[in-house]
Amino acid sequence: MEKALNWKDKLAARIPEELGREIDIFEQQMELRKQGKIDEKVFAETRLRRGIYGQRYDNGQRHDGKRIQKLKLSADVIKGPDTLWDAPGMMRIKIPFGGLSPAQLEVLADLSEEYADGVSHVTTRQDIQFHFVHIDDTPALMRRLAAVGITSREACGNVVRNVTACPLAGICRDETFDTTPYAKACATFLLGHPDTQDFGRKYKIAFSGCQQHPCGLVTMHDMGAVAKTRVIDGKEQRGFALYVGGGLGSVPYKAKLFDEFLPEAELLPIAQAISRVFARLGEKRNRARARIKFLIANLGIEEFRKLVLEERQKLSPDPRWTDFLSSVNEPSEQPLKPGVGLNAHQRPDGFAAWCATNVYKQRQPGYVAATVTLPLGDASADQLRALADIARRFVKDTLRTTVEQNILFRWVSEADLPEFYQAIKAIGLGAADAATIVDVTACPGTDTCKLGIASSRGLARELRDRLGEKSLELDAAVKNLRIKVSGCFNSCGQHHIADIGFYGINRNVKGFQVPHFQVVLGGKFHDNAGEYGVPIGAVPSKRIPEAVSSITEYYVRQRDKNERFQDFVARIGKKAIRDLLEDLTKIPAPEVDRSYYTDWGDPREFTLADMGVGECAGEVVSQAEFALAASERELFEAQLLLDGGRSQDAVKAAYASMLHAAQGLVKSQDASVSEDENKIIAEFTRRFYDTQLFWDKYAGGKFAEYLFKAKDFVREGKAADGDRAVQVLQEAQLFIDAAHDCHNRLRGTVQSAVKIENAAQPSA
Amino acid sequence: MELQKIEIKFFAVEREPVPLAVFIDVFHGWIQASDGVYHDVVDYSHMHQGPGVVLVAPDFNVSVDETGGRRGFLFSQKTLLEGSNQERLTRVFQNALENCRHLQTEPALQGKIEFRFDEFEITLNDRLLAPNGAESYGALTAEIKPFVNRIFGGAPASLQQESDARRRVRLRIQAMAPVDPAAFLSHVGAQADGPARIN
Repeated sequence: MEKALNWKDKLAARIPEELGREIDIFEQQMELRKQGKIDEKVFAETRLRRGIYGQRYDNGQRHDGKRIQKLKLSADVIKGPDTLWDAPGMMRIKIPFGGLSPAQLEVLADLSEEYADGVSHVTTRQDIQFHFVHIDDTPALMRRLAAVGITSREACGNVVRNVTACPLAGICRDETFDTTPYAKACATFLLGHPDTQDFGRKYKIAFSGCQQHPCGLVTMHDMGAVAKTRVIDGKEQRGFALYVGGGLGSVPYKAKLFDEFLPEAELLPIAQAISRVFARLGEKRNRARARIKFLIANLGIEEFRKLVLEERQKLSPDPRWTDFLSSVNEPSEQPLKPGVGLNAHQRPDGFAAWCATNVYKQRQPGYVAATVTLPLGDASADQLRALADIARRFVKDTLRTTVEQNILFRWVSEADLPEFYQAIKAIGLGAADAATIVDVTACPGTDTCKLGIASSRGLARELRDRLGEKSLELDAAVKNLRIKVSGCFNSCGQHHIADIGFYGINRNVKGFQVPHFQVVLGGKFHDNAGEYGVPIGAVPSKRIPEAVSSITEYYVRQRDKNERFQDFVARIGKKAIRDLLEDLTKIPAPEVDRSYYTDWGDPREFTLADMGVGECAGEVVSQAEFALAASERELFEAQLLLDGGRSQDAVKAAYASMLHAAQGLVKSQDASVSEDENKIIAEFTRRFYDTQLFWDKYAGGKFAEYLFKAKDFVREGKAADGDRAVQVLQEAQLFIDAAHDCHNRLRGTVQSAVKIENAAQPSA
Repeated sequence: MELQKIEIKFFAVEREPVPLAVFIDVFHGWIQASDGVYHDVVDYSHMHQGPGVVLVAPDFNVSVDETGGRRGFLFSQKTLLEGSNQERLTRVFQNALENCRHLQTEPALQGKIEFRFDEFEITLNDRLLAPNGAESYGALTAEIKPFVNRIFGGAPASLQQESDARRRVRLRIQAMAPVDPAAFLSHVGAQADGPARIN
C-alpha cells in the first residue's frame, strides 16, 4: 500500500476545490510570514480569519507564582504582535446553527487527539474550540475538517462569525417555522462574501423560531432574525422580525427592531446591505467602538434603516438570495426510526430525573430531543466517538451543539430513551442537569484566554460540583435558574443574560491582589435574552459559592408564590441583595488563610502579571483607595435611582461616581487635586489618559472614554431613557473597575502573600 | 513505518485514591522548578475518563490521564524526533519513565500512588504516518518486540492491539514474568533517582 505523504494529497478528492485552494493560500501565507514577507499585523488578521486565535502566555512569558518565567520558545518568528510562532494557540471551528453529523464528531475527536490536548470544547456560540494547537498543524487540521464539510474560515476576526440558531429549530412545539435552512443559507452566502471583508469588528448573527424562548438569543446579536408569518390575500407568507445592533461585550446593548416583518426573500439582500453599511460607516480605528451597535447608537435606528434600504436598492440581483427558498419547506432532517411512544418497561435508575431535565418532547409525535450535558462544554475524543456511535444507533445525523455548551440529539424515538440514557450514562454523560443551575456555562477565562482576569472555568467547576451534590434537595425555583460566568468584562460567558451572572475582576485587599467576581443579577435568558442583568457588587472569588447559596436561599425564603427570579430581584431591590452579600466581601488576612489570594484550580498567588504589566508611576496614597471605595458606593446609589425610575438622576450620579474615581487616581499623584470637575478631568486626562497609564492592554483607552462621554452627556443635558441610563451605569462600573486596575498597577502589586522573587515585577 | 509522536502510558497503583486536584499543585511546582520548559497546567478533572490533569510543554505533554478508565502517567511526545525508530522509542520511553518516577516520589503524594512498569501502553499519535490497520500494527510490532525484549531483559511479554479501528494505533504491553527493577532501569537507560515500583 502506498501511503500519502501528507493530508493534502490524501484528502484531495474529498475537499471542495475552493476550500482546498483557500487552505493552500493560507499555507503559503504562513511560509511568507516565516520569511518576514508579510507584516505581522496583516498575518494576525489573516490567521484569525482562518480561526486561529492566540492563547494565554503566547507572548513567551508566564508568571509561575513566584516569578515571571521566560518560556523556552524561539522568538525568531512571530505570528502577530507580541505572539510567538511556536506558542500554542486556540483553533475555533465554525459549526453553523450547531449542526453536526457522526462523521464530523469522529473527525473532531481525531483532531483533538492529534493536534490539541484531547478535548473538544463547545462554546457559547455553538462553535467547537481546540486549545494548545501549534500553528504549523493548522493547514492539516483545516483539510481534515474540510473533508467532512467543516470550515474554520471566519471563525475569528472582523468578519461574520458563526451563524447560530435555536437548536430546537424544526422540532420545537411552538416555533413559527424551521429557521435551519435560512441560517444555513445566511452562513453560506455571507462566508467570504466581498461585502463582509472590511468590517472594523466582528458581526454576529442568530436565528430564532419564536420570540419567547431563549434558544436563539436574538436580541444580543448584531443581527437577529425571529421567524414570523403573515397572511396576505389569504396566502401565508414567511418572513422575519429583524433586529440589529445588539451585543454583549463590556457594555451590553439590546438589538433594535429593524423591520417587524422582513419577507424571506429579502433576508439575504438586507443582510448584505447591512454589511455594506457597516463596512462603509462603522468605526475602524477605535476597536472599542467598532461593533455595529455603536454605529446604530450614533446614527439612530431610523437613519440606519434608511441607509440600509438605500443600499439594498443598489445591490445587483444575486440568485443565491432566493435559490434556497425552493426547498425550505422540505424536511431538513429524516429520523432514523419511527416515532414510538415510551415503553412502560425497562426504566433504569436515574432515568426519570434525567428525563425531567434533559428531554424535550418534539412536536412530531413519538419523538424527543435529548440534551447530553457536557461539563464545562468539554468532551473527550473517546466520548465524541461514543456519541457518534450513539447517534448512528438512535438518530442518524441530527445533532446540534447548543449555546449552553451541550449537544442535542434530535429525533430520538421515545421508546429508545431508556437505552439512549444507558448509552450516554456509560460514557459519563448521563447527568440530569440540562437547563438547571448545575449546568453552569463558562468561557475559557484564565485557563487559556489572554484577556481572562479570573478563573471562570475554575469557578464554574466548583459551583457545578457543589450544586450537583445537592441538586436533589434544591427548591424547584432554584434548580431552574441559570448561572453563567465570564473571566472578564467581555461577556464570552454571557453573564449578562443569566439569572445569576459573574464576571472576573481584580480587587486590591490590604495591598494584595485578590480575584473577585462582579455579581450580576436579573438577566433574562428567556425571550431571546430579554433582559440584561446589572452588577450588584464585587465578591472575592473564593466566596462566590457562599454568595450563590445566600442569594438562592434568600430567594426561596422571600419570594412570592411563583415569583420569577428577575421579578424577585426587581421587587427586593439591589440594595437588599448587596446588604445580603456584604459579609461575603471580607476575607481573612493572607497570613491567616492565603487560599483567598489564589484562584480556583490554580495554586499560584493571584496576579494580573500574565496579562501584561503597566509602568510604575507613583506611590500608594490611601486617599485614592478611599475615593475608589466611595465611587463604588455612589455608583450603587445611582443604580438605586435607576431602579426608582429616575433615569436622569441615575446618569448624573453615575457620572459623579466616575468623577470621584478619577479624582482618586489623580490624588495618588497630586494630593492637592481640585474639587472642580473640569480640573479633575483635565488632570486625569493629562496624567492618566494621555500617558496611557489608565489604558487597558487590550481595550486601550475605552474605559477612560466612558468618563468623557458621560461628561458630555450630562453637560448637554440630554434626556436619558432607561436604556441609555443602563448603559451609562454599566460604563461607569467598567470605568471604576479600570480605575482599580490602574491603581493596582501603579502600586506595582508591591505586597505578596508569598515571597515574590520576580525581578520583572514592577515596584512602587 | 516511521515511529513518531509516540505516547507512553504507565498505569497507576493507588494505595488510596488521590484526588486529581493534588496533581495540579504538583505540576505547578514542576513549572516553578523548571526554567521556562512548561507552558501551563490544564485541569480536566470534571471530565469522565478524560485527560485528567495535563502539564503542557511545547515539545511534549505529561499528564495524569484517566482515558480508558485506568489512571496512569502519560507522556506524549508532540514534536518529531530524529534518529532510528529504536532510538526514538528509547528516548521517549526514557523521558516517560524518568518523569513518571519523578512524579511518584513527589512528597505531596505521600507515597499513595505508584506506577507499574511491567505493563504500559504505547500509542502512535499520527494517523497519517500510522493509520490504524494491519500494516501499521505489523510495523510497530516488528519494532516494539526487540525493544520490549531488551527492556524486560528477555522476559516474555504479551502485546495487545487496540480493538477500535477508529482509535490510534496502540499496543498494550505486559511482561509475562517478573521483571528485575534494577535490570529494567539499566536496560532502559533511565536515571535511577528515587524509588520505582517494578512488578
